[in-house]
Amino acid sequence: MRSFQNAAIIGVGQSAYTRRPQPDQTTQHFMRDAMVAALADAKLTARDIDGLAVSSFSLAPDAAVDLAWKLGLSLRWLIQDTNGGSSAMNMLGHAVRAVDGGVAEAVLVLAGDATGLAGYAKVAANLNSVTQKYLAPLGHGGPNGVYALVANRQMKKYALQKSDYGHIAIAQRQWAAMNPYAVYRTPMTMDEYLAAPLVSDPLSRYDCVPVVAGGQAIVVARPDRAPKGRSGVRVRAHRASFNYDNQQGDGLATGISTFADELWREAGVRPSDIDLASIYDDYPTMVLAQANDLGLIPDNDLSRFCRVTIGEKRFPLNTWGGMLSAGQPGGPAGGLNGISEAVLQLQHRAGERQVKGARLAVATGYGMTMYRYGGTAAAAVLERIE
Amino acid sequence: MTPGVSIQRCTNCGADHFPPPMLCSRCSGVAFELVRVFEAVLEEFTTVRHMLGQENWQPRRIASVRTPSGLRLTIGLQDESGPGANLELFEDNSAPFGRARR
Repeated sequence: MRSFQNAAIIGVGQSAYTRRPQPDQTTQHFMRDAMVAALADAKLTARDIDGLAVSSFSLAPDAAVDLAWKLGLSLRWLIQDTNGGSSAMNMLGHAVRAVDGGVAEAVLVLAGDATGLAGYAKVAANLNSVTQKYLAPLGHGGPNGVYALVANRQMKKYALQKSDYGHIAIAQRQWAAMNPYAVYRTPMTMDEYLAAPLVSDPLSRYDCVPVVAGGQAIVVARPDRAPKGRSGVRVRAHRASFNYDNQQGDGLATGISTFADELWREAGVRPSDIDLASIYDDYPTMVLAQANDLGLIPDNDLSRFCRVTIGEKRFPLNTWGGMLSAGQPGGPAGGLNGISEAVLQLQHRAGERQVKGARLAVATGYGMTMYRYGGTAAAAVLERIE
Repeated sequence: MTPGVSIQRCTNCGADHFPPPMLCSRCSGVAFELVRVFEAVLEEFTTVRHMLGQENWQPRRIASVRTPSGLRLTIGLQDESGPGANLELFEDNSAPFGRARR
């Protein structure tokens, strides 16, 4: 059964990304720039927008309605999502349901952050009350320390070598070289990857997502609102999961494992039908966990997937360079970046990184490091409307 | 430093929890007794060598450990213990730490 026939992603836009924002470059400035770009791309004006979904780690004390005011948006549908790396995918799900159900005509899905590096450290140490009380006092190093432990478990369980992770980082850097927005575009060799300084063993510099300041936006509306001559992108299926195991597992399966079968069944396609994937990539470890949950890795052979499927460029994964090379403008906008790239690919507008004939994509979000690993995940199968 | 780590045990089904829950995820019970756990086995560890936005960061070790009842905690590791090591647990300002049993 195909869902959301009356909704499509019709435009995407982003701000510039920067590693070190200036004092006058706030989260809201980056979000504004992303909104302006997305509206121009969709050939709409601010007056056409009647729905807003927003997510950010650095919007407070303002809330979504304050942002709507500052952006001059008068709305009849508004949500604010607080699920970090899966916020973008959650917001996409809410937006297509709102448009498909006729509650809103055109929804702007918007995310961004401009914490700066020191500000990010504060976010990482105060992500929730458990982190404040039981992790930060250990000097856990934020998510890097947490996912270093997950990576240790993954390497042990699947007999992975450090170089296996390197294939993901290197392949994504090759894609990033073709993305003018990416903050890191210089090709990387395996020797350079392996020689990078350790951050938190086994994670080294190129395993850890670089935090940037930036904003990202997409526009969801009826398919016939797509600019003339351009295909909209439809959501064939969408699922989400929250606190899937009460943090009692090993973190090597994500919440995606709870709904993957349902997702593919509703989409009416199989993992092998997919032309490209945008998998939330705060760490290569979590790319593998999510891809495995989705069924993209035959026989759970993570090592072969890294060495052959990705290392030999047999499957287009994170074709904008992923957050690992393009930068993570906060978790929420980072997830939106992957969705935007899937849209550009399915609309055949990805320039020199275009995947030939792309028709189907899968995109994911993963986030909220509650204690031992992330507790939220979401995914969608996206389709080019012919 | 206080010997042992304080965890919550559901008085209805006996499931151990850490960090403290409001409701038992196994039986939905709402009553817990505080129990101190003094030992655990080290499963994985890492040395955190760098922290974004922090200058003069001193490397420190954290670890995932398993208590005798199977509960998994993230602790600060205060020595060079490796996987499989038996640790004694203690608290410093409510946060859990561990080191090799003496």
